[in-house]
This record gives sequence, C-alpha cells and structure tokens, in this order.
Amino acid sequence: MDTEMADTSALSSHYGQVQVHFTTNSPDIELPEGKRQLLVPTNVRRYGLSQILNSESMLDTPAPIPFDFLINGTFLRTTLEEYLTANGLSSETTLSLQYVRSLIPPLFEASFEHDDWVSCVDVLSSSSLAGTWGANVNVPVVLGQERILSGSYDGLLRLWNKSGQAIATSSSSSAGGHTASIKSAKFISPTQIASSSLDRTIRIWKYSEADDHFSGELKPVLELYGHLGGIDSIDVHGPSNRILSASTDGSIGLWTTAKNSAPAADEALISGPNAKRRKLTTSTNTPQRGPLSLISSHTAPVSAAIFNPLDSTVAYSASQDHTVRTMAPAEFGTFEVRELARKMKETAWLERLKETTGRGRRNQSVRDGTCRVWDLRSSRTGTKDEGNGVVGEAVYVIERESQKGKKRPVGGEGIKVYGVAWDKEVGIVSASEDKMVQINRGRGVTRPNDP
Amino acid sequence: NIDPASLLPKLPKPEELKPFPTVCSTLFRGHEGRVRSLAIDPSGNCLASGGDDGTVRVWELLTGKQLWSAKIGDDEAVNVVRWRPGRDAVILSAAAGEDIYLIVPSVPDVNPKMEAASKELLDTGFGYATNATQALTANGQKKEPVAKWTRPSSRLQDEGVLIKITVRTTVKVISWHRRGDFFSTVSPTAQRSAVAIHTLSKHLTQIPFRRLPGIPQTVQFHPSRPLFFVATQRTIRSYDLQKQELVKIIQPGARWISSFDIHPGGDNLIVGSYDRRLLWHDLDLSTRPYKTMRFHSKAIRAVKYHKGGFPLFADASDDGSLQIFHGKVVSDMMENATIVPVKVLKGHKVKSALGVMDIDWHPREPWCVSAGADGTCRLWM
Ligand SMILES: [Mg+2]
Repeated sequence: MDTEMADTSALSSHYGQVQVHFTTNSPDIELPEGKRQLLVPTNVRRYGLSQILNSESMLDTPAPIPFDFLINGTFLRTTLEEYLTANGLSSETTLSLQYVRSLIPPLFEASFEHDDWVSCVDVLSSSSLAGTWGANVNVPVVLGQERILSGSYDGLLRLWNKSGQAIATSSSSSAGGHTASIKSAKFISPTQIASSSLDRTIRIWKYSEADDHFSGELKPVLELYGHLGGIDSIDVHGPSNRILSASTDGSIGLWTTAKNSAPAADEALISGPNAKRRKLTTSTNTPQRGPLSLISSHTAPVSAAIFNPLDSTVAYSASQDHTVRTMAPAEFGTFEVRELARKMKETAWLERLKETTGRGRRNQSVRDGTCRVWDLRSSRTGTKDEGNGVVGEAVYVIERESQKGKKRPVGGEGIKVYGVAWDKEVGIVSASEDKMVQINRGRGVTRPNDP
Repeated sequence: NIDPASLLPKLPKPEELKPFPTVCSTLFRGHEGRVRSLAIDPSGNCLASGGDDGTVRVWELLTGKQLWSAKIGDDEAVNVVRWRPGRDAVILSAAAGEDIYLIVPSVPDVNPKMEAASKELLDTGFGYATNATQALTANGQKKEPVAKWTRPSSRLQDEGVLIKITVRTTVKVISWHRRGDFFSTVSPTAQRSAVAIHTLSKHLTQIPFRRLPGIPQTVQFHPSRPLFFVATQRTIRSYDLQKQELVKIIQPGARWISSFDIHPGGDNLIVGSYDRRLLWHDLDLSTRPYKTMRFHSKAIRAVKYHKGGFPLFADASDDGSLQIFHGKVVSDMMENATIVPVKVLKGHKVKSALGVMDIDWHPREPWCVSAGADGTCRLWM
C-alpha cells in the first residue's frame, strides 16, 4: 500500500499501528491526495496526531496549527487504541479522521457589576448584525468603540464600553421606562434598541452618545402593547424594522419599529383598572402601538422566537409545549412543526433558542450557571433516553468568574446564566443571576461565519 | 394464604418510567422561617408560597425570582396558599390565622383585562352578603354569621389583596372546587364549624356538616362528580353534595391522616399520614387500602397526584425528602394500578424536626415543587 510514514518510530516501539485516512472541510489546510492515508501508532492521542499533521512531511505548516480530530462525529479524547477498543474495532480498520482547527478555551476577561440579576446581553460591533445594519444610517461602529447592552431584573437597560464603563442607563418606570424586569434586549442599529419585559411591553429606544463617547442617552420612543403575559424573548431585523417576540401568554408577536405603520394599541391593555397609579406618575408621552400580528400556535408559553439569520422572511419559535415551529412571518403561516421530546436537556435547549447556521458552532447558556460552547460538527444521534434527535457534546464550558473555586451550587442557585452574545470583536458575553455581565475571549473561538 | 405481592406483575425499572423529576433546578429564597404551603398557578408560570413570616409570595417559576409579596399575617403564619382553578381569572387564596384572603397579585399574567375579570369575580358577591337574611337563634336573637366577608385594609387592597373572609378559628386547609366558584376550608379546632364551604359569587359561607366523627384534617372535592371528601384523623368520608348523604367511609388504617389526594380519573386515592404511612386506595375495590407503603422515617405531610397527564405522584416528609412514584391507573376495573417508587429527592434541611411541608406538581410538565421548614421552596425537574 502506498502510504507515507511520518517520523513516529519513537512512539511506536511496543504499540500496534492503525491505518488512518485524514479528511478536512477546510480547503486551505487540505493534504495532497497522496498523503491522506497513513499508518500511525495506536497509542497516539489528539496531540500526537496534531504533531504528525503539522510535520514537514505532511502539511509542513510554518507555525504549528493545533488540530482536533472527529471520528464519526465525536471528538477523539482518548488514544486511538482506546477508541478502537471502546468501539469494538480491530486495528485492521481504516479510521477516517476529520481534522479541524482546535478551539482554545475562552479566557475570562472582565465582569460588569449590576444591581440585580442580568437577564440578557447584546453586542454592537462592526461585525455584529446591528453593526452592519447601521451602515444604512451611516454610523459605522469604530473598532474599540464596541458597545455591550445589558438588561436587568431591576427593569433597566445599561450600555457599556468594553472597559466596563456604564455609558447610559435607561429611564426608570416613572420616566417612560419598563415597569418590571427586562427579559430581552437587542440592538436594531447603532442608534436604536428594542427591549422586552415582564411588564408585557416591548419598548423602542433611541440611543445617542456624547462626542467623547463616555456618556450617552437612551430615550424611549415607542411602547408596544399586545401580549397578555411577560415577553421572554425578542429578535430584531433592522433593514425591515421588524421585531419578533415570544411571550408566556403562548403567542408570538410580529411588530414594526416604524410608528406610522404600526397599528393602534388595544386601549384595554394600556389602562386597566390598576393603571391609575402608574398613570399618575408617568410624565412622558411615548407613543403607544399594537402588533402587526399575533399568532397563538403554541399550547404553552413561548420561550424564544428568532429570525433565521440568513433569511429574515423565516422565523423559528420554541415553546414549553416541546415544539419548535418554523414560520414565514410575512404571512405568519405555520408550515412546519417539529416535535421535540420531553427531556430536561431539551427543555434547557428550548429556553434559549440561539441562531445556528448549517455549519459551525453554537453557544448556549444553561441553568447550571455555565456557558457552553458547542461544536455542531461534533454530534451524534441521540438515544431514546435523550429523546432521539441530534445530541452534541459541549467543547468548552465557561464557568462564572464570581463562583471561581467554589462548588457549583445546587440548582445553579445564584449563578444561572440567562443570556449570551457572541461577538468576533468582544468575545463571549454572558448575563447571569450573579448580577454580572461576564466577558470571555479566546483565540480561535470565533463565530462560524467569521473569516 | 397467598401473599398478594406475589400476584403482582414484575415491576418495571425506574429508568423505563421516565420522565420524572430527578434534580433540584431552582431554589426560591426569601421567606423567613418555615414555608408552610405552596402552589403552582394554572398557567404554570408562577409559584405561590406562604409561611411563618406571615407573607404570601409569588415567584417566577423557572428562575426563582420573587415577583410579588404581601404580608397578610401580623403574628400569624400563612398556613395555606391555593390558586383558584381555571384560566378565566387569576385569583390566589391564602389563609393566616382565622382570615382567608382572596388576592389578585400583580404578576405578568395579570394583564389589565385579566385584572378586571378577576376583580369582577371577587366583587359580584358583595350585594348578596348584605341582602341575605340572617338566621335567628332559638331565643330570637340574630345568629352570629359563621364567616364575615369584608374588604381588608387599604394597604392590603393596594397590593391586590381584595377580600378578607374571617371565620372562627385558624384555617389550615383551602380546597377549591374545579369550577372555581366554591372552595372549602378546614379549621380543625372549630368543632361544629370545622369544615366550611364558601361560594365566591355570593360571598356566602355555609357549614355542611354539623356532626363529624372526629377532628377534620383536610377536605377535597371530587374531580368530576358532585362528591365531597372529608378526612378526619382515622377515616375519609365521601358525601354526595346534592343528596346531602354519606356515600362511603374509607379506612386507610393510618393512625393520623395528614393529607390525601384524589386521582384525576376519580376512582383512586392516595393518603399520607403522620405515622409515616402512604396508602393507595382503589375506590372501586374496597374501603381498605390496596397498597400500604412505609418508606419515610418521619411523618408524611403532603401527598399529591400529577394532574397534567403524567402517571406520577409524590409525598413529602419531615425526614426532609420527597418521594416520587410512578402509579399508572388502568381503565380495567379488575386490574390494579402498578406503583413503582422511582426517585427520592433530597435537599431540604430538617429544622426543629420538620422537613418538607407541602408539595405541588406543574400543570403540564413532570416537574414538582416543595416547601421546606428550612425556609426554601425548590423546583425539581
Ligand atoms: Mg381500578
């Protein structure tokens, strides 16, 4: 057989060898046809294989590239020998090894303190969606002037720079702000923000900064009424001025940020019998509007609703009724319903439906107070117990810095992570019950669609 | 003599009976002193709790964040909190001392429309109370009413606590009829008026039984038929509410019944007792228990069936644990339920010999909540 033998003789003295076939999906690091097949010692692990690939006779990389290896959708975490034994394979087998650039664990960078639990975060940078949508209004995001938006259970939105200086805070409930905890907030553009709350409203804010960029103002410009329960999640699409919302009332809302094309708000939802007290103290006259559409396709609270990041005419919603639904929000017809199994893992999954693309990585916040980075390339078919479907393994688990060195508390008490944003410039930004926004950053841990 | 256990089919393994709650996923902290009672609202979004600190609190179920609270007991513990069934209104009932309160808490589910509907349900009865003719005693004096329906202080009204019903002695139990117009309360020390039935739409309180063979512990309306169950220390009696007659006397064989619950199908019943027994009764079969279980080392304080489609039930004990059981009721009259203990949930600390005081199930999910003497509530998933 025509195989090349790398210089691994030192490793192989009393171990067997196994035939491997290297593949990759990255054309820039592809091996020439004749070098893909290789006989390697069975006692090598990821590191050894990575060294072999980087060697002069193989890829001959100018600087070593750390690689990870996927066999049948699972990352190799043992020696090849152990893998063969665990999977009942003989060393006569040819193992197909897909190599990918290793992810470096994201390191802790900073924490921003809040007065109460932090429910959500978003990032504005030149590469974030809202940053690119800002091109319309000719306000590009300058490198180094990235902004972090956080929403808190104290009902306030805060804008931070990367060094953790609070640049702006939204107005209190008596001055046009939310009257209960904020659950979700997103940049629509560098100058526009949307937020949703347990107070059943979505609010649109105009954001402006002083010339020195150390102070700014968040001015309420629109209040949106229609949901009958708290609004756990919103997503925005800047170019079309559309907002999508998910509520505990079991419905999904589609809204516009354009005051003049928004329908009138249902008066009965604004001034109920108890609103008197609030009215007396409200000094602002923010316009109030209703939804373009409300759809009640779920039979339980809706935990998340998102636009397809590649096609905003398609949206997805996830609900406590254990279904994920696909919608075309233009007509709001439901054309696909996929049932997910009743499973705790799935439940956590449904709480935070994050944008995914066909390839690449996904970031998830979970109830146990960690933030997990998933690699969608590493996946396997779930067992019956796991509710079938596709099951993945987290590549990295980011712990809360506030909890460093301490035992993970029962029920994730005090450290549950409620929101996460992933930005090329800023890193992995997470919001938690520990009253902190935490930033982690690592080489190689970038979003999949980044170059 | 055949051991009945030998006739039972082989029990399936717990892993085959998933889903059931296995881990604590949220803690609810804020109460000072014991949490005595808790209940998940019909929407499944909120948890209500009440305890020794005299407060009623409402929490966001999934996060454990407190959304609302009111102090209704000055020196009295809140002994019980129960939501009115139904999704047409959001009404929470709670009792502290001899006062029962009806509350519309300001939580996200109570939007202005729901608030108006809820308040209307609470207020329609005000006319009846003043118009009702009062019974006269033998010597022609006006008889003291068994209960007074009034407005609480304006401080409480501002917080959404809208009706106060005062009875004669401390209320320990509130139990709603499924339609949401009647609820029953138990004041064990009130002797002849220990069991009361209240009609919300008329602000009317009636005493259905003048003579009960023992001290009433707890009561329940049947989930579908016009039957009413009253547990005394030793027995549970079912009464036909329409015919006003005794239907059945159930004899669990426990020395002191603490709690019972009726299976949503209506033909089975679980009973918990202070003498550590958990009993399953098949009402078609016998007035004696079909199965007696003793798994706890201390008193059982609460038992509850899942009412949202899962064949699960749970008990709560002063040993600090909850036990989860799988209990599938089959429609075949001749076949008995298969009962499998599937999980012991530990975490509550035992304080002054008291452990878990109350439990409830989520209306849809296989999740349960527990109230502890350690001052916490816990959500188990
Ligand atoms: Mg039967």
